[in-house]
Amino acid sequence: MKRTHIVLLTVTLVLASMFARPQEPDPNARVTVDPISPVSVAMGKSTPVSFTLHIKPGFHVNSHQPTEQYLIPTEFKFSPPPDLVVAKVQYPPGVLTSFPFDPNQKLSVYSGDIAVKAVVLTSPQATAGKYTVHAELKYQACDNNACYPPKRVPVQFDVNIAKGAASQKARPNAESPHIHN
Amino acid sequence: MRTANLLFLTASLVFCGIGVRPQGQDAPQETPKPVAGAEKGSLAPDFELKVLEGGGKTMQLSSLKGKAVLVNFWATYCEPCKIEMPWLVELQKKYGPQGLQVLGIAMDDAPEKDITKFARKMGVNYPVLMGTEKVADTYGGVNGLPMIFFVDRSGKIVDRVLGLESESTIEDSIKKSLAQEAPSAGSE
Repeated sequence: MKRTHIVLLTVTLVLASMFARPQEPDPNARVTVDPISPVSVAMGKSTPVSFTLHIKPGFHVNSHQPTEQYLIPTEFKFSPPPDLVVAKVQYPPGVLTSFPFDPNQKLSVYSGDIAVKAVVLTSPQATAGKYTVHAELKYQACDNNACYPPKRVPVQFDVNIAKGAASQKARPNAESPHIHN
Repeated sequence: MRTANLLFLTASLVFCGIGVRPQGQDAPQETPKPVAGAEKGSLAPDFELKVLEGGGKTMQLSSLKGKAVLVNFWATYCEPCKIEMPWLVELQKKYGPQGLQVLGIAMDDAPEKDITKFARKMGVNYPVLMGTEKVADTYGGVNGLPMIFFVDRSGKIVDRVLGLESESTIEDSIKKSLAQEAPSAGSE
């Protein structure tokens, strides 16, 4: 290959990396989760973390505590690495809403944007460093006359465990890293 | 020489898929309006599915040839499905003697006992089958629930509905599916 072509190919590849389209979003996703900024926490301490969910206009999802046992709740499942725990997960209360398909019944739902809060706890024996917490949001959406199969959205965020120093927004008294909600 | 370079650059750009980003890419994506799959006028894809509370028995759609069949995809988590089910119970009573067979296909991940409990609570008087993704895919995939396919006596789909429709709309489609004469023996 000629040198000119190699230069052109290199330029092309650089341009391609600059303008590459991001991964296409799932057109059937009715809920998206904002990327989560990394959190920092000292060994044996805790720090809050928040997840912002956007529910597409025209759709609703069941709240974390639906009114009927058959309904699928909106729920995060966390898979933290050892020495890290995600606890005290706080879901907002659902809004009791009736829908055209059954005006007499009120369902506990979320719509629009909602925030789910949690606390990241570290073990005092944790090793300093960067860790990634993997999570999965499960939701099941409906609109005014149909429901859609449950979906799972992978979510992840980084946790920097710092040596000894107090974490940002850390609580004065570290809580047990073995609490699960 | 320059032309060759230009051609090479163009080919490389095309190959790498560089292009202008679609306008409004950053705007929220529109969710495509879902439609029920499996075309009207086509033969309803055959299936064999486990019957709920059937002691391991299965049922085949093709075993109902000669009947008009209402194939109702539903799930326990689907509130609009719950509204529709009592209508289907009534329509089965009303049109069963004329040759209608309602079939419920549960598209749940829920345990079978929960689906059974739910179906009993709803007073379902027609067979409920345990749905599979594979069967749903032959019907165009479960794009939403409830989803109904109206199959006439010859096995053709005469109507399909995604989402909750009025009882009268469902009844009209049942009448349409019953109107078709069953194929006479040896006509195939």
